[in-house]
Amino acid sequence: MKCDSLLADCVDTGLILLDRAGRVRVWNRWIAQRAARPAAGAFALTLAEAFGAHIDPRLALVVREALDFGWSARLSHALHPMPLPLFQPGGDRSERMLQSIDVTPVDTDGQRHCLLQVRDVTETVRREILLKQQARQLRQDLQRLSRAQAELQRSEMRFRELARQAPAGLFEADSEARCIFLNERCEQLVGHKLADIAGKPWLELLPPGEEARVRDSWLLAVRSATRFAEEFRYPHPDGRPLWMRAEAGPLRDEHGHISGFIGTLQDVTEFHERASRNEFRANHDSLTALLNRDRFERHLRAAISGAREVTDRLALLFIDLDDFKQINDTHGHQAGDTVLKVVASRVRRVVRGEDRVARYGGDEFAVLLVDAGDDLTLASIVAKIAHAVALPINLGHCHVRVGCSIGVAVYPDDGADPHSLLIRADQRMYGAKRGEL
Amino acid sequence: MRAFTALELDALTEAFNLSLGEATAAFSAIVREEIELSVPVVEFVARDELARRLQSGQAGGVEDRLCRINQHFRTGDGFATDALLLFPEQGSLEIVRRMLGEDTSAEHITELEQDALAEIGNIIINSCMSSLADLFGSEIIGSLPSVQSSSVARLLEDKSPDSLILVARIGMSMSAHNLSGFVLFLMDVPSIDHFMAQVSRLFGLPEAPAERS
Repeated sequence: MKCDSLLADCVDTGLILLDRAGRVRVWNRWIAQRAARPAAGAFALTLAEAFGAHIDPRLALVVREALDFGWSARLSHALHPMPLPLFQPGGDRSERMLQSIDVTPVDTDGQRHCLLQVRDVTETVRREILLKQQARQLRQDLQRLSRAQAELQRSEMRFRELARQAPAGLFEADSEARCIFLNERCEQLVGHKLADIAGKPWLELLPPGEEARVRDSWLLAVRSATRFAEEFRYPHPDGRPLWMRAEAGPLRDEHGHISGFIGTLQDVTEFHERASRNEFRANHDSLTALLNRDRFERHLRAAISGAREVTDRLALLFIDLDDFKQINDTHGHQAGDTVLKVVASRVRRVVRGEDRVARYGGDEFAVLLVDAGDDLTLASIVAKIAHAVALPINLGHCHVRVGCSIGVAVYPDDGADPHSLLIRADQRMYGAKRGEL
Repeated sequence: MRAFTALELDALTEAFNLSLGEATAAFSAIVREEIELSVPVVEFVARDELARRLQSGQAGGVEDRLCRINQHFRTGDGFATDALLLFPEQGSLEIVRRMLGEDTSAEHITELEQDALAEIGNIIINSCMSSLADLFGSEIIGSLPSVQSSSVARLLEDKSPDSLILVARIGMSMSAHNLSGFVLFLMDVPSIDHFMAQVSRLFGLPEAPAERS
């Protein structure tokens, strides 16, 4: 027995051996330390005497079964957390030690005994609680992550479908204006596949005249992180000259820096053409396509204010057709219109491109020569105009001739403002008609 | 070896059900909840046949793991049996966690959960054994339970291929959980003969002539 107890004191497990009558025979040091009762004090006591009444009733039951029937039993910590009042050595005895107990029948000396092996599972419990917390945390993280991923997928799908169905061209470009994304519509508009133009700035697709202007605007938008909006001419690869409108807003990376732009591209060619037709109509005479009176006078004012700074001479010519009413009366209005159109185009051809020609009203025309030269040059131009007008005009069924009277006023010689120049030219034109020239 | 008669198997079933009543009471006391344990069927099956049946009866396929709680029992006069309680791992884990009031669904069984399973198996096996001990009228010494989990295919690998197995199907239900498992008693041939003789004697049924093959 001496040897037995020596061995029993060496193991890191609690050992209690009970005899047939349920009285303590072995009470090892491990138990003694945790039960606060030395082996000598426990010997020959029953469990109830040794521990008081604070024993899990199931432990008492299985000890009885081991002694009476020879059965073994395990009291797991999970279902019986603290069957015996044992406490951590050195602890304050306020809380029982977490334990798990194996109960086995042992036959020695022809006698049935019962062995209790008590394990301290405090550390195991702590570890498993931690493990479970980690598992729970991990599961929550995973759920969060998969929710976020699903949301991301949904929004990406939403965006793709929107981009596919959108009637406008959609594009994304980095801050160097290199295309990263084009929807199908955008590829149609620019006439290039993304794969073909990716990696080079889209600005390079523009005609040289437009590229510099739009690039400045793009760089400004990148620098100031503002919205980019430009209209520009765009020669489509299939040859159509188009007008495009690009609008884009800045995209920021995680550091808040501008990483690129995302926006729309629209074909505004029709809009542009309509606008320029409207503008033309507002400024031009519908029959002859010459400037109208209003527009002409604006050019005149602009030319005078421009001329004040240099020493250019401007000449204002008033041309009135002679006997135009007679052509109208004899050959009809259609013939009259033809005459006006022919005269307009002849005058237009006599003067230089930068000179302005207008139909001033009825059968009156006005010409602004922006660099009139000396009197001699001016006189030769006037003569050329008169000559050109006087050539026969083909009306289809016959030819007619129409003469004209021309009045000239020169800036600054004849006046320093548009009004006086106009009056002067008008007077001289009437003078010419009356044969004063 | 003769087969059991239907009457004898009925009598065994009744005996198991009686002793499981005690296990039920023990459980309900531990978890403070109503638990039902029942043995609807008892039969004798060869090892390979049982393995085949376990495999084909699996809802989740062969991949499902079974949890096996094993105790060895012997009497002083040479009768020996391995008692095995088999439960599907997933279902038994759920029950254990319910008993412990835990909501975790960690994939693997922890050490403490394994211990709790050992205790549950221990209670069921001991109570089944008590009915056999009554039959034998002698003491049957039992070992501590050990828990293993393995695939169905490997579950009975360590048992002799020609052993005949007494199989008691066990139903366990607790709240919304229903779990069906088996208690197996694996016996060698002398043990079976011994066992049959005891059964015939105890239930007062006429002892059939032994047919040895």
